[in-house]
Amino acid sequence: MATISFAKSLVNPALKLVLKQSQPSHLRNIGVPSLTPLSIVLRRNYAEKQVFERTKPHCNVGTIGHVDHGKTTLTAAITKVLADLNLAQKKGYSDIDNAPEEKARGITINVAHVEYQTEKRHYGHTDCPGHADYIKNMITGTAQMDGAILVVAATDGVMPQTREHLILAKQIGIQHVVVFINKVDAADQEMVELVEMEIRELMTEMGYDGDKIPVIKGSALCALEGKSPEIGTDAIVKLLEEVDSFIPTPVRELDKPFLLPVESVHSIPGRGTVVTGRLYRGTLKKGTECEIVGHGKIMKTTVTGVEMFHKTLDEAQAGDQLGALVRAIKREQIKRGMVMAKPGTVKAHDSLEAAVYILSKEEGGRSKPFTSFIQLQMFSMTWDCATQVTIPQKEMVMPGEDATLNLRLVKPMVCEPGQRFTLRLGDLTLGTGVITKINANLTEEERSKIMEGKKAREKAAAAKK
Amino acid sequence: MKQKIKSSSMMIFQLVRSLHTSPVYRAAESSLLAKLRKKTGYTIANCKKALEMHNNDSEKAEAWLNDQAQAMGWAKATKLAGRKALQGLVAVKFDKNYGALVELNCETDFVAKNEKFQKMLEDATLACYKFAHTNLKSKGPITKMELDSEQLGNLSSDGGKKLSEVLALFIGSVGENAILRRAECWKANSNDVKITAYTHPAPLTAGDYSSGKYGALLAYKQPNDIEDIGKQICQHIVGCAPKKIGDKEKDKPVENSDDETCLIFQEYLLDPSYTVEEVLKKNKVEILDYVRYSCGEALEENMPGVEKQPLDTVQTLQ
Repeated sequence: MATISFAKSLVNPALKLVLKQSQPSHLRNIGVPSLTPLSIVLRRNYAEKQVFERTKPHCNVGTIGHVDHGKTTLTAAITKVLADLNLAQKKGYSDIDNAPEEKARGITINVAHVEYQTEKRHYGHTDCPGHADYIKNMITGTAQMDGAILVVAATDGVMPQTREHLILAKQIGIQHVVVFINKVDAADQEMVELVEMEIRELMTEMGYDGDKIPVIKGSALCALEGKSPEIGTDAIVKLLEEVDSFIPTPVRELDKPFLLPVESVHSIPGRGTVVTGRLYRGTLKKGTECEIVGHGKIMKTTVTGVEMFHKTLDEAQAGDQLGALVRAIKREQIKRGMVMAKPGTVKAHDSLEAAVYILSKEEGGRSKPFTSFIQLQMFSMTWDCATQVTIPQKEMVMPGEDATLNLRLVKPMVCEPGQRFTLRLGDLTLGTGVITKINANLTEEERSKIMEGKKAREKAAAAKK
Repeated sequence: MKQKIKSSSMMIFQLVRSLHTSPVYRAAESSLLAKLRKKTGYTIANCKKALEMHNNDSEKAEAWLNDQAQAMGWAKATKLAGRKALQGLVAVKFDKNYGALVELNCETDFVAKNEKFQKMLEDATLACYKFAHTNLKSKGPITKMELDSEQLGNLSSDGGKKLSEVLALFIGSVGENAILRRAECWKANSNDVKITAYTHPAPLTAGDYSSGKYGALLAYKQPNDIEDIGKQICQHIVGCAPKKIGDKEKDKPVENSDDETCLIFQEYLLDPSYTVEEVLKKNKVEILDYVRYSCGEALEENMPGVEKQPLDTVQTLQ
């Protein structure tokens, strides 16, 4: 069985693409095993699978709105209109609604299950059933949305819960919302105008620029059935144009300042110290100034060489597994868990606020909830650190729930907003989260309190009274 | 260059659009339809219909809408009745001798966060709380009454309307299916029996009403001179979901403490170094009964072979 999956992975086109991009020559050197009847069969599979071509920038969008206002119809209409232009594969209403991802709720579901492209960009399209699912996706990083399409039916107008939809969009950091007023075929001009007015008013109230938000009116159903193109197909095309221009393309990891979490350190006689790891973001060249931060230390140095699989590299890109030769630093000074980055771009912190999703028992978590002052091990990038957890807004956190947590690390580690991490207790993964805020570093007194037990805390509380 | 042209054409487009929309916008704002919609909050299509029927007399239209709301709510409720509603909230209302626990379901958790939903739930919980005061006979240490969806709908709310009518109005307004799933009304029949309740997430300021995803009612005995830990035990029940209280003589603790389903053998949530039994002993607490709801969980009523009780039978604890 193992050989089968191995052979499969060798002919898997997606992997080949990765191979091409990251140039891990050692993998290529393994070579393809001799052709057996089995690998021929697998080759046939390979021919059926299309290769994903990365020619346009990618962007994730999602639809939000009331259950009956036509989110799914709109998604189907978008794929139909684009399929006519040969830019997407047409999806029927039932394909989208009955997607297995939407039915089975687990931690890695609800990912974009519809993809399409316009002339300008490639899109992943998400539609989650509820508030908690969106939050979970945001925290676990399953499908980060860069923008959203708010769907409102002209016949009903803004619903009481539309407010909650927008609160959610704000909460998960969606800055750009495009509005689609659906079902205009069942409404008249006055009603549509009224709905538009209501939406702009509500958007302004929720802190968006209500007057500037693009509002497109149309009927997804007409587009799907190919009727009255002025409110059908044309409206969808217009909607996509607005999505193209109004929702900005996210900054790619390559364009950010470089960051390399240290995986291991070696000392090479005659050359010096080599730091290895996977370049997390940005690009790295020979001669770059850098800073090594973590475990309570900060060191400045220069990268004197970049190597990948024993070959020198002009420029390493995000995602590359590399070794970096650093000047005038001994091996003993650097430890796994430190971070090498552009000077001034990273700092070590020990007091954080984070949004965390706690795994349910079915997802591999614990069946019991936890309360404040639990001690957990926090894993992020290549480091891990003992952490004291307090819950500011709740008395406990149940499995399968998301929560805001305050985390206090026993020593400062490199952290920044948006960084993802995992919380573990013994051999169990309790939850996964994303850092939302960095608090001021702990004082010595506060740090000593982290390690205190429950008894000491109670004693102190009693003394205060 | 190409991009530049694109962006400038975009700007022109936006400018044209804003020129186009703003005047209309103002016109719509002053229209009767806009006023009526803003005032009543009924769907635009219905407001439109009301105005057409009454020759744009907004007062008559409004009266008609209010008249029709109930019927429209019922129509909508009937239309949506088959749809699954597994989100929602559980609410409790209690004092020392009475307790009510109610579950209200809806289709998406967005709706559960809406004020209207919360008002609806509070009304239902109050109705049950009142029901516990007026309709439960005393027999045994506590009187318990389980209500199913139908029985709950027959209770009357503060305004005198039946809960099912209030619910239909609510469904008409949010356009999503909602179900008054179940309720539990409790009454303590002697002075030494106390009732407490807990919901998760707990409200920041403790009160006698709260709502959340999980909720529990607990009846217990504890001498008055010891610090009351009923609330904490109730929190433990909400958190650790025991299946039964457990009998020390009959039941045995399981090997892995995380899988324990007997309340007394579970590790105490607020201090895992003790078991619940040890905590109960130390604080001289005797647990009489508890009930725990988790919102949207599979219900026993749906199991085959479990019969419904008529509204007037009262279940008592021996």
